[in-house]
Formats: sequence, C-alpha cells, structure tokens
Amino acid sequence: MNSRRDRPLIAIAFVVGAVFPVAARAPRPAHMPAARGESLAAFDARCIPAGCVAPRSNTPGILGRCALPAGRLARLGATPDFHHGLQGARPAADARTIVEEAQKRGRSGSQRYEGLLQTFEAQGKTSEKRWIYERLGSHGRSKVIIRFTAPPEVRGVALLIVNHPDKASDQWMWTPALERDRRIALQDRSTRFFGTDFSFEDLEERDVDQFDYKLLGEQAVDGAMCWSIQSTPKQSRSSQYTRAIIWIRKDTYAWARIDSYVKDDVVRRLEYRDIRNVQGNWTALQTTMTDLRRGSITRLALDKVEYSVLLREEDFTVEALRRK
Amino acid sequence: MRRALLSLVVILWASSGAAQAVSPSGFVDGSVFGFPQTVPNDATRIVGDALFRNEIVLRPADWFQLAAGLDLRVNSHDQVEDRWRLDVEDRGVLRPRAAVRRLAATVAARGFTLDVGKQFIRWGRADIIYPTDRFAPRDFLNVIDSELLPVIGARGSIQIASETLEAVWVPRLTPSRLPLLDQRWAAVPPEAAVFSVADGGSVIPRGSQYGARWRHTSSRVETALSFFDGFNHLPDIDVRPRSDPAAIDIVRVYPAIRMYGGDIALPTDRLTLKAEAAYVTSPPSTSDEYLLYVIEAERQTGEWLLDVGYAGEMVRQSRVPVVFSPDRNMARSIIGRASYTVDPRRTVIIEGAARQSGDGFYAKLQYSQAMTQHWHLTLTGVGLAGEPGNFLGRYRRNSHGSVALRFSY
Repeated sequence: MNSRRDRPLIAIAFVVGAVFPVAARAPRPAHMPAARGESLAAFDARCIPAGCVAPRSNTPGILGRCALPAGRLARLGATPDFHHGLQGARPAADARTIVEEAQKRGRSGSQRYEGLLQTFEAQGKTSEKRWIYERLGSHGRSKVIIRFTAPPEVRGVALLIVNHPDKASDQWMWTPALERDRRIALQDRSTRFFGTDFSFEDLEERDVDQFDYKLLGEQAVDGAMCWSIQSTPKQSRSSQYTRAIIWIRKDTYAWARIDSYVKDDVVRRLEYRDIRNVQGNWTALQTTMTDLRRGSITRLALDKVEYSVLLREEDFTVEALRRK
Repeated sequence: MRRALLSLVVILWASSGAAQAVSPSGFVDGSVFGFPQTVPNDATRIVGDALFRNEIVLRPADWFQLAAGLDLRVNSHDQVEDRWRLDVEDRGVLRPRAAVRRLAATVAARGFTLDVGKQFIRWGRADIIYPTDRFAPRDFLNVIDSELLPVIGARGSIQIASETLEAVWVPRLTPSRLPLLDQRWAAVPPEAAVFSVADGGSVIPRGSQYGARWRHTSSRVETALSFFDGFNHLPDIDVRPRSDPAAIDIVRVYPAIRMYGGDIALPTDRLTLKAEAAYVTSPPSTSDEYLLYVIEAERQTGEWLLDVGYAGEMVRQSRVPVVFSPDRNMARSIIGRASYTVDPRRTVIIEGAARQSGDGFYAKLQYSQAMTQHWHLTLTGVGLAGEPGNFLGRYRRNSHGSVALRFSY
C-alpha cells in the first residue's frame, strides 16, 4: 500500500510534451548552403503536433501518398534541390513540401529550456508547473527528459520520453515519493495530459510520412501571412481527431496555429506566439492550447532556450531518471 | 559508521552554499486520523501526527551527487521516541524524533552508477503488493498507510543499451517497523487474546545482505530477474511463554531467506499486462518457503487509470505458525486501483482488495487537492471488514478517516 501522497505527483508529469512543436530553423543567408545532403527521413521539426491527424475514411478527397512527389523523394532518400528554393518566401510546390521544410528547419541535435505551464480553468482556477526540459537527438528519434522543479509538491518528478518515428513514444516516470520508476501506459492517447488541455496525442513527435496534406490557401495569423494546410493521417494511424488545419508562416516556416477537428467542430486550438530566432531556430516562446469544449486554456512559456547543448546519451535512460 | 554519516551530514549542509548545483526541498505535513471504533487494546480514536522533512541535493560535478535528508516528527499517540537524538539506523520500535532520512553519494559515468550510503532501493513492477522488493522495509505503525524506510548500503548498476545489471550490498538488516503492541494495528490473533501479551524484543541478525537484478527495457516488453540473499525485513513471530501461564512474550525474529524473483510488463494496444513473482526459500530451514505472485492489467481510459489484478501465494513449506507479513497476508486476493484526474489540481483514487475466500476486505478512497502552489490537502477514508481470523478482518474496527495538510517549499 502506497503512501497517500504518492498519487497526485503522477498527475503532472506529462504536461511537458507541450514543448515539442515549436521551432523552425531561421532562414540562412543566401550564400549559405542549406539542406543539401540532408536526408528527408531525418526531418526534425519539433513535430507535427498531433492535431494533424484523422482517419482516411473521414476525409474524402485527400490525395493518396503516391500522388505526392515529395513523398516519393523521401522514400528514395533523395535530397531535393527545392530545399534551397524554400529558404526564402518562394511559394512551395505543395502542402507536404511546406510541412517537410518546416520540420527540417526545426532540426537541432539537442535542446534545453526552462518551461512554465499554466492552466486556466473555465471556472477561473489556475495552476502552474515548472520544469527543465532536455532533448537529445532529432525529430522522431529523440530522447527527452523533463524534470519538474515547481510547485514544491512535484519537485523531483522526472519523465523520460523515447520517441519513435513510426509509433507512439515510450515513457517512464520517476516519482520521488515512491522511489521507483514506472512505465506510463498510453493505450488511450486522447486522454488529457493529466488534467491539462493537451492530450497525450497532442504531445507526440510525428513524422511527416504519417500524414496526408492538402494546401487550402493563404491566410494571415497574428499579422503574418501563412499557408493553410489540411492534415489527415495515413490509414494505419488512429486519432481522436477527424482532421486538422495547420498554419505555417511563409516568412519563417514556423508553425503559427493548429486547429484540430472532431467531425466538423474545432475541439482544440494550438497557437504559437512570441516567435523568435534562437541560435538560428525560429522558436515559439509561448504556446497556447485551448480546449474549446471545456473552455479551458493551457499556456506554455519557454525560458532560457538553448540549442545544440552538450548532453550525454547516458543521461537519457531509465536508470538516469532517479538521479536528481 | 554512524559518526561518519553524521559528519557527512554536517559537511553537506555546510557546503551547500558553495556547491555548483543545490536543490533544497521539503515540507511540513500535519495529519489527523479519526477512528470511529475503539479496540480492546487501544481506546484512542483521534491520532495526530506531524512531520517536517528537509532534503538537499548537491551536484558538485555532472558525474557526482550528494543527497541528504532530515526528518523531524511529533505524534499524539506515543508513536515517536521521547528522546531528542539524531537517529541514523532507523531500527527502533518507535519512530525517531529526528532521523537522517537519506545520506548518499552517487557517482555516475558512462552508464555506470554507484550509490553509497543511506538510500532507498526499490525492486519490482507491481502495485499494492511487491513480491521482489526485498531491500525496502516499511514503517507499519499504520498498516494501511505504511511508509518506506531507507537502508544503509551500496548499490551499483551498469547499463548497456537496453540491459541493466544492478548489484546491491547492505551490511546490516533494517527491519520493518511493526505495529505497537498496545495500539490498534497490533491486531493480536483471537487465539492469543486470552493472554497478557508483552513485547519480547527483536532478534536482528548481524550478517550482511546482497542481491542482483538484471533488467531489460524495450518498447515491446520490460522484464527483470532478481536474486536476493539475506534476511526478511518482515519477522516471524516467536511466541514465548512466561512463568505466568496467562502471559506470553512476542519476539520478532528476522529469518534468513533467499529469493529468486522476476517481473515483466507487456504493453499492448488495449492493456499493459504486468506480473511479478518471488520464490522465497529458507536456507537454514527455519522459516516458510513460498511463492508469492501478482498479475495485473492496467489501462488508461479518458481521465481514468485502472489497474486490476490478482495476488496469489503457494506455500511449499510452512514452518512458522505466526508471521507478520502484510504482502503474504494480502495474497489470495483480487486487488485493484482506479485513479481519476479531475483537473491539474485534483485527483481521486480508489484502491481495494478482497480476499477470494470472502473473509477480508479493504477499500480506500482518497481525494487530493493542490490548494495553492505550496498547500496541499488530502482527505482519505479507509474501510476494513472481514472475519476475525483473517489479516484484513482483524482490522475491521480500524476503519478510519484522515485529513492531511501539507506545506511544501
């Protein structure tokens, strides 16, 4: 029988994932080589947030994968020259190419930041959690450790996330009160992230190959012109969402907003704000998720963001979770 | 050993200001337990308990860490020692008023980790009952709401890819703290109720203990095999007659045991299946030999986390008539836990066990709420029922409610 105080600690651990979807590499100077030689398979956008998913049967008219030239290139491991062309604001060939480029620009070998997560309930109640986030590796194959630093009740709780490009991540949590690690079962990815407005699915890193895309047009978001793209999952993927519409800024290829739908209703809205260039990566220092059904908002603010940090592989293991 | 540990405490606190990374944390916790019913050996219905805990972690270098923790306690029902002394070993019948909760140095480099000092060592994967968790004694002054006790020893582990090998050495047994004979959780068996029962003390063996555990961690399956050679931190009860035929002495004897264990977790699309088993032998043939196992299925659905399982026991050799062993005594039961996350600040937990024979039941309902960034409230209700001859049934008059308020910093 466990101590009565052990359980609540678990409730916070996941909030973290909100961190993923934020960076896009800043445009390089014209003289600087861009993506040449880099494999599309290694694309590393801080993920397509899970909103971009839907069963094929619910989204008629979506192009099949074979119809997408970029998809073919990705499978062949080719390095398309259009990467150079996309460094500026030149119109993209198609929706998938835009998303690929946005992901590619977000690539970095490692990242560290301090996060503040605030949840505003519809009744006006708020809660705050803080953590230190460290990521090692590129999109889809990265390892992440999140160590909670506040509030005091949850200080020391740590979460290890091992991402896979083709399936849900593996997650383990260290709870100091229990003095043991525990694998987190994720059978239901629509579960709210322990009470926040992010679902587990919203926090997964995903590969561009897992979705079909359709360019809907162009639209301004927060004063910046964006491509508006509809995203649906491949047949092999399941999702709580019927479809999603994502907005990607034309000037920086940074994510601007994602609306996730269930049938014809928008149920969650993810907004990227305060987008700044940090070490060459366009990074949203503030991310807001609104649950339109519950009327609650979860806001994630990033501080002390660093890329290409020197991190040790041995610190991203279940054994290392127990170290403070 | 004690002097060296105390010196390390002083050095840690003194150097905390200069260390590269310091993480102080702690809390003050006040709890009130209310028992609607009295029991023959304890008429107290309200018990108050307060705990102050402070912990400091220093990281002078990436590869080196020092951790120290201190507990201060008071209790309204004589569960805490009267003396003001700094206890390091934690082997007393009563809880120490001031105790070193943790005092350990950790070296970690290239997949190798070494922890030396007073620390917590946990094995196994199951919930509610932990068959292989042999280095984790508990404080059972409140049997239903037990707390972990640290042990003094060394733990080394090496991780290569998905494999981890762990070795543990503990120079001396830290026994679990048992219910006090004059208090309600002692639960004297009905056949002994006619006697005047006195505490005959403990026989704590002096030998060391060691164990090893291999763990495999991957996406498809997690599994571990473990071996332990040492002493059971839960005692066999030796009943010794006194000159007065109406009186007996209860002596706690911690038998030498050897354990061969294993655990597994198998995540599937719909459930995570978990199992843990330990086969315990008695090399000197003085104690019971048995297999204790737990099988569980866990599922997250919506805001619910559900966990249902069965705890079983197969006794190969029964040698001791009376043991205090909550894990074995809870076996042959269906066990379950459900937790519901209301919102980021509130959680509800329901936990229970029912003996397959129907002679013992246990249920706990707990509501937990973060009131502010520092204050946390926990309300708990525990129901116990069953036949007098059953472990849970013996506590049928110990159903209770509690309120705990914690200030963390």
